[in-house]
Amino acid sequence: MTSSTIISEPLTANRDLNSNSNASLTPVPGSRKEPPPEKASDIRRRSFIILSFWLIVLFLGLPIWWKTTTIYRANLPLQEMLDWADGKACRPVFPLRIAIEANSLHEQEAHNLLRLTQHALDDLNDFSGHHLRLQLSPPSTEKKQDSSHDAALTIRLVPGESSTSTLDPYAPVLNITYPPNSIPSPTSSSSSLATYVASQLRSTFAEEQAIISYLLSANFIPSEHRPQGLAPEAADSLAKRTTRSLKYAPTYHLTFSLFTSGPLPSSWDIEAAIDEYMKPVLDLLSPIHNFTIDTQVQLYATPGVQNQVLSKEDLSSFINAAEWPLSPSIGGAPTINFVVFVGDQTIMAPPQAPEGSDVEAPTFQSFLIPQWGTVYLVSLPHDVPHVSVETLKQPLLTFTSHLLSLTGAPQSGSLPLRLSTLARIRSADLLLRASSTLGSLARLALALPSIAIPSSVADGVSKTMSHLRLACETLGGSEGLAHARIAEAEAERAFFEKSMVGQLYFPDEHKIAVYLPLLGPVAVPLVIGLLNEIKAWRKRRRERAEKGAQKKAE
Amino acid sequence: MVGGKVNSGRMTALLVGAVVLRLAIFYLLPGLSDLLAGRVEISTPVTSFKRLQEGLFLYQHNVSPYDGGVYHQAPLLLPLFSLFPNFKSFPLGTYQLYIVADLLSARALQLIADSGEAGSSALFTSPRREKRWTGLIVAAVFLFNPFTIATCIGRSTSVFTTCAILHAIAKAVSGAPFSAMVALSFAAYLSMYPLLLLPPLLLLCYDRQHPSCAIKSAGKFAITNILVVAGVLAALFQMSYFMTGSWEFLSSTYGIQLTLTDLTPNVGLWWYFFIEMFDSFRSFFLAVFWLHLSCYVGGLSIRIRRQPLAVLTLLLGIFAIFKPYPSISDTSLFLALVPLYRHVFPLMRYTFVEASVILYATFLGPSFYYLWIYAGSGNANFFYAITLVWNLGLSLLVCDLTFAVLRDEWEVERPEMVGKEIRQI
Repeated sequence: MTSSTIISEPLTANRDLNSNSNASLTPVPGSRKEPPPEKASDIRRRSFIILSFWLIVLFLGLPIWWKTTTIYRANLPLQEMLDWADGKACRPVFPLRIAIEANSLHEQEAHNLLRLTQHALDDLNDFSGHHLRLQLSPPSTEKKQDSSHDAALTIRLVPGESSTSTLDPYAPVLNITYPPNSIPSPTSSSSSLATYVASQLRSTFAEEQAIISYLLSANFIPSEHRPQGLAPEAADSLAKRTTRSLKYAPTYHLTFSLFTSGPLPSSWDIEAAIDEYMKPVLDLLSPIHNFTIDTQVQLYATPGVQNQVLSKEDLSSFINAAEWPLSPSIGGAPTINFVVFVGDQTIMAPPQAPEGSDVEAPTFQSFLIPQWGTVYLVSLPHDVPHVSVETLKQPLLTFTSHLLSLTGAPQSGSLPLRLSTLARIRSADLLLRASSTLGSLARLALALPSIAIPSSVADGVSKTMSHLRLACETLGGSEGLAHARIAEAEAERAFFEKSMVGQLYFPDEHKIAVYLPLLGPVAVPLVIGLLNEIKAWRKRRRERAEKGAQKKAE
Repeated sequence: MVGGKVNSGRMTALLVGAVVLRLAIFYLLPGLSDLLAGRVEISTPVTSFKRLQEGLFLYQHNVSPYDGGVYHQAPLLLPLFSLFPNFKSFPLGTYQLYIVADLLSARALQLIADSGEAGSSALFTSPRREKRWTGLIVAAVFLFNPFTIATCIGRSTSVFTTCAILHAIAKAVSGAPFSAMVALSFAAYLSMYPLLLLPPLLLLCYDRQHPSCAIKSAGKFAITNILVVAGVLAALFQMSYFMTGSWEFLSSTYGIQLTLTDLTPNVGLWWYFFIEMFDSFRSFFLAVFWLHLSCYVGGLSIRIRRQPLAVLTLLLGIFAIFKPYPSISDTSLFLALVPLYRHVFPLMRYTFVEASVILYATFLGPSFYYLWIYAGSGNANFFYAITLVWNLGLSLLVCDLTFAVLRDEWEVERPEMVGKEIRQI
């Protein structure tokens, strides 16, 4: 004789239903004995147990699952972001105001000259993004300071023997002398003086124009805004210049290093030298960049190349990267290295230094390494223990000029003009970079529909766009640069949001791997218990209906 | 009466023996108590004595004890421990506190065992109830259980939770629902998870009410007692608030258990899982683990409605396996209640396997931990594997005890099946 039963486990509580179904059959003599039918209270209790588990699953589990795993996607103005990236949202225009100071001319004459010069300029100019707008500055010396403050350049017209032009080295002023007879008469439609002034202006701004048009063409600016007429070779040299200068950063770290091949010299007056020769330029650059400075001295430093005379090929391996403690960028700011090497090596004069070659030798004691810094070779008598300020003068002046080209300033023009040009170039550059970052973010959000977009990203995007709009309106001024800087920083922050990067790639099949190992085994008894329960309930109902029908029939 | 006297004399001897054993370990093996206090099997982030001392130091220097993120225990433990002399200079005071807590637990356990609730509850009387151990033996098994001793020597604060839970059960059994609810509130205040014991404890209280002052309506009884628990908890929280000056303690004590921010290894199953977890699914799986822990309460309470004490015992076993920061003190609480079911031991099928697996994990666990942390020749998987074995042993024991209790009930219904083998059909 065999008996059969199952004691229900608390978790599954699914008693095998065979006992139920067989119980209703009449036992056939000789077959195994069947268990008695379940009591109604047991059946009800089992339903309650299954219900208690399912209530927790449905009323706690499901809402929690929904709440914790839905991906939060903040709304991004995708179309607007793509517009910025395509250059549709902003047409970069640099209205440069140029003041003409002609104290010796009558007002009528000056106006006439201005009109003619503007005509000549407009005829010459083929790039609509770069406007030169002339205006007459009032003759009174009191107001001169204010009006020339926001003008990019002031032209000072002085009567003289012949037509000459010189750039003032300390202020953005172009001095032009003119012979007295070249003043145009009020009725004439052309004037040699006007043409001369226009061509001088054009040549002054030629480099800036070329750089800006290069920048615009390198980015995704549609062709109608793109300047024509940028010669391929000019673009080539500009590309080289751009690769030579460092990527824009709000802060640069300057490292001044003194490497000596022997035990001496072991100290230098670098602080005084920096204060005297470099500080003024750093101060001028301060609206565009911040600088942090440190210095170091290293004795018995062996360069990577031991040749007495360094050829052009040697220069690239001169820096002994393995042994010299020239740290790469620490913290956020990129480092610019300025190395003074005291030794007896010299640089061989290149037969014909090709323009924009990788390693240039502007003088025969120093060379510039693109995006890295400058090395200056000094030979000193062997018993000098201390490097004085005077000895450091030439190196530091070289460093200063190299710093300008490393930060991407144009090469021609006077210093104030180069700096203001640098500010304009940088604001255009930042504007374009922020726009293209926005575009990348928009494309990323479109390409990965399952990526989470936290609200901080949406904040960053809206901040970026408002600053971009402001920057676009005030392009060319100092405000424009400030807005472009903020816009670029915000765009980068939004794009590199940490919580977004972590889940960059999480396809749906991975979710199965996350859920199934734990929830699968838990779900099996729950689901099977529920199914069995439903089946048994339907069966009971059917039986009851049959019984009812039988009773009626009787 | 004579028997009672003999019994109380024996009980006194037992208690004295337990005290002497503990004091001997404290004083003769002073290094052992510090060693045990640092073991991950005994001290979890929410019960560790070292962390308590850190919190105590901060508290006595008028700094919020939760600054620094080391102390995660209930704030009212701090004034309690401040009453005792400094542990470094005079440790006996603290030792006394822990030993007294153990003795009180043993006393409560003895009351539970002597009430006979395990064998014959209000709705069910087991035919095997005569074959049981007296309260004295049950208390002795608890007091001389190595896990209990190690917990006491390691000065884990879960000793107080254990004491509160056992007192809640003892009060419920002796028909004092109010005291039971107060004791449960204290346990829940100290370590939160005992709150899940409320439904079976309510059933137990309801079944064991004194007929004189019984509340007949189940709903009214439940609401009254839930209100008691809520009131006591609110009072405790308010006191904690006055003591620490902010509600910060809620997130630092219960928040830690809910979010598992401290992933120090322990004998449980959570830490390894959440080290590996993807960050974006972390909150979901935390909820799943907590729901899993709490989903047994309803099912067990309904299924074994006739023996609420069995439900409490089984739940404590389940908590010792699945709670966020389990330690061997949770196991010792479960093992303290298991001997109450001496009468169903013959129905258990795998006692040998369970005992061997638990012993095996007990000895291999510390050595695997040593291999991982100190010798460096193993990795985290070593220790996790042995905790899996440990929890496997415990869950086997829980399942087997469930089986035995259910079979005992079933045999009352089907007396003709007594002694028959079960078979799945």
